Amino acid sequence: MTAVAQAPAGTSSARTGRRPASRRRRETVAAMLFLAPDMLGLLVFLGIPMVACLVLGFFQVDGFGGYQWIGLGNYERMFADPLFLHSLRTTLLYLVILIPGLFVVSLALALLVRQRFPLVGLVRSMLFAPNVVSLVVVALVWKFMLTDQIGVIDRVLGFFGVTPPSWLGTPHWALASVLVVTIWFAMGYYMLIFLAGLQDIPREYYEVAKLDGAGPWQTFRHITWPLLKPTSFFILLTSTVSMMTGGLDLLYVLTSGGPANSTTLIIYYIYQQAFVYGEFGYASAIGAFLVVILLIWSAALFALTRGGRFSDGDK
Amino acid sequence: MAGIRRRSLFAAGAAALGAPALLTGCGKSGNAKELTFWNFYAPNPNPGDPTLAAQSKWFEDMVAGWNRENETKIRLQYVTILGTPKLATAFAADEGPDIFLISPGDILRYYNAGVLTDLTPYLTKEAIDDFSRPNMDTRLVGDRVYALPMEIEPLAMFYSKRVMESVGVTGDSDLPTTWDEMLGLGEKLKREKKPPIVFCAAPGYYQNFTWYPWMWQGGGNAVSADGRHSGFDSKGAVDALNLYKQTIQRGIAPRVEPANADGALALMQGYAAAYHTGIWSVAEFRHRKPDFPYGVFAPPTPPGGTPKTVLGGWAFVANARGRDPETAAKFCTWAIGSMSQDSIDRVVDWCTKAKADIAPRKSALDKGTRDGGYDNEIMRKFKDEIFPTGRGEPRYPPVVYKAISDAIQACQLTGADPRQQAELASKQIDAYLKSYEGGRIL
Repeated sequence: MTAVAQAPAGTSSARTGRRPASRRRRETVAAMLFLAPDMLGLLVFLGIPMVACLVLGFFQVDGFGGYQWIGLGNYERMFADPLFLHSLRTTLLYLVILIPGLFVVSLALALLVRQRFPLVGLVRSMLFAPNVVSLVVVALVWKFMLTDQIGVIDRVLGFFGVTPPSWLGTPHWALASVLVVTIWFAMGYYMLIFLAGLQDIPREYYEVAKLDGAGPWQTFRHITWPLLKPTSFFILLTSTVSMMTGGLDLLYVLTSGGPANSTTLIIYYIYQQAFVYGEFGYASAIGAFLVVILLIWSAALFALTRGGRFSDGDK
Repeated sequence: MAGIRRRSLFAAGAAALGAPALLTGCGKSGNAKELTFWNFYAPNPNPGDPTLAAQSKWFEDMVAGWNRENETKIRLQYVTILGTPKLATAFAADEGPDIFLISPGDILRYYNAGVLTDLTPYLTKEAIDDFSRPNMDTRLVGDRVYALPMEIEPLAMFYSKRVMESVGVTGDSDLPTTWDEMLGLGEKLKREKKPPIVFCAAPGYYQNFTWYPWMWQGGGNAVSADGRHSGFDSKGAVDALNLYKQTIQRGIAPRVEPANADGALALMQGYAAAYHTGIWSVAEFRHRKPDFPYGVFAPPTPPGGTPKTVLGGWAFVANARGRDPETAAKFCTWAIGSMSQDSIDRVVDWCTKAKADIAPRKSALDKGTRDGGYDNEIMRKFKDEIFPTGRGEPRYPPVVYKAISDAIQACQLTGADPRQQAELASKQIDAYLKSYEGGRIL
């Protein structure tokens, strides 16, 4: 638009006698056309389903085209449903361990691969590699590795005389196994984001710190950590949302929500209600509740960190 | 500018609102002269799999036979597993297939929703009587037929002869006939560091299916005979829950099934000494490793109990909301439910050649026996000893299934008290049955 305003006499618009407003209009149309496919996709595949989910939450849906208005019935049922409350507790426990764990591991890896050493590019690629594999494949491979007694992990531990637990057949170990596999799968992606954040920090800061005699911890504490806050905020927000709403395929293949519901996270419970029991209305209500939780979490995070700036001084 | 925005927004909105209608309208507006048949055999997605190749060919031949003689054609559509998301989603969008395969566990849900076509008008009385009743019960509502079973799949204990011989089990008389003997054998295998006896441990409909016969053996039932009350808080159920608990606590069975829960493969690869699985494994052995030495014994019984097994198997159903329910119903009966020799032969071929199952019709079972389909020692044992002790797979609604599933999982994998779990599940079942309306729960 600036170019149009500053266009000298003799430009094409002047020659054709068209007003700059006409060009603005054409550019606006072009911009809308470029945006339209994306907007349409978002509307059809995200906007409408979200509204539909919210609306369905007020109905009893039999899964065969039958809808009955029940108002807040599904929401009342939710808080009297011990399995829903159990899945909510399990999800909270899962997130409380997963998010800090994923954060620390990803940051540590980013700090590691920021260093210059031979084959660093290969190491970065290998760490990111799980992300390019289907989560179903990841789950299958881990399932074979974690199988009791005959899985490779049990065989290796057995070689050293260790009697391993049943990784996927004991409730607390199953949840721990899901956590480990999730971190293993996701760490490469968040490592890359941290790496981008680290590379935005000017090298001069580190050089000056080194001249001043700062050690690695002091450098991290006073330079890296403060300047990485916006990236940390982004990772905290996106990882919580994606870990709470994703990973269904992993759970489906790895544990089927078991043993004894120990890995039935809320997302798996929604899937069960909708597609195993045909309770689409109830599943939608839980989905809407999940959105509310995530909105509250996001708003709280924004408020606590001042939109990721943490303080007025951090611009 | 404002005008453009309004027009653009209007166009975009119209497109967005119209798109779902267009998407959901795709299926139903198709050719009414062609009906879709969702199944998990054909067209064969994996021609390299010899087991699937034989089964896929049976489906293709059957459909080709119908299509030659009828104006309305049938189109086979392969779907991975029926009874799971794909079918549920299709029906939720009113885009269910015209014909599909159904397991007994799902029948009541589909019947209660009015999705299943009553096949009775298309069947002769002679043909209805030809279907084996213990197995047929869960496909009937009153005296009306809503599904035609294509096979009967009893469960039994499969075992590796090599492993059993290595612990001194050399003849049929050494095989366990009681729960105590089975647990004793499991402990012996464990002591001698041999592969274990495997029972299903993954939560889901299949685990419930495999667990029911242990409950029935002791006289237990999930639901009372009239289908109105819970019968789960019973000695039979408590004992069966305790059996699964004991198999884990005594280290006899693994908490996670080996070989991705493929019983035949686990035995062939030496990951299991015995495996509680179904007759379908016979076809797996036949196609993958015909020389592998394996045997079968009937599920052992508790003290004072009676031999029982569960009869699984899939059935043909016609969608009452499909494009042409009448033709779909006619196809089902023509294929496997008429008294014509072709129809009977088709069932014989499916159960003795393409697969290894018990034929669900008396005429087909007789013919299959005459043709040598059950001459094999294993198949004879299934037909003569195990199948007669069978009861059709129950058709419990999801709430009943889930209450039982949670009780099994809690006892088996967390060591919970079987009596308490039976009481808890029983209360949940009773609470549900109070307001239940629909087909009789069996």
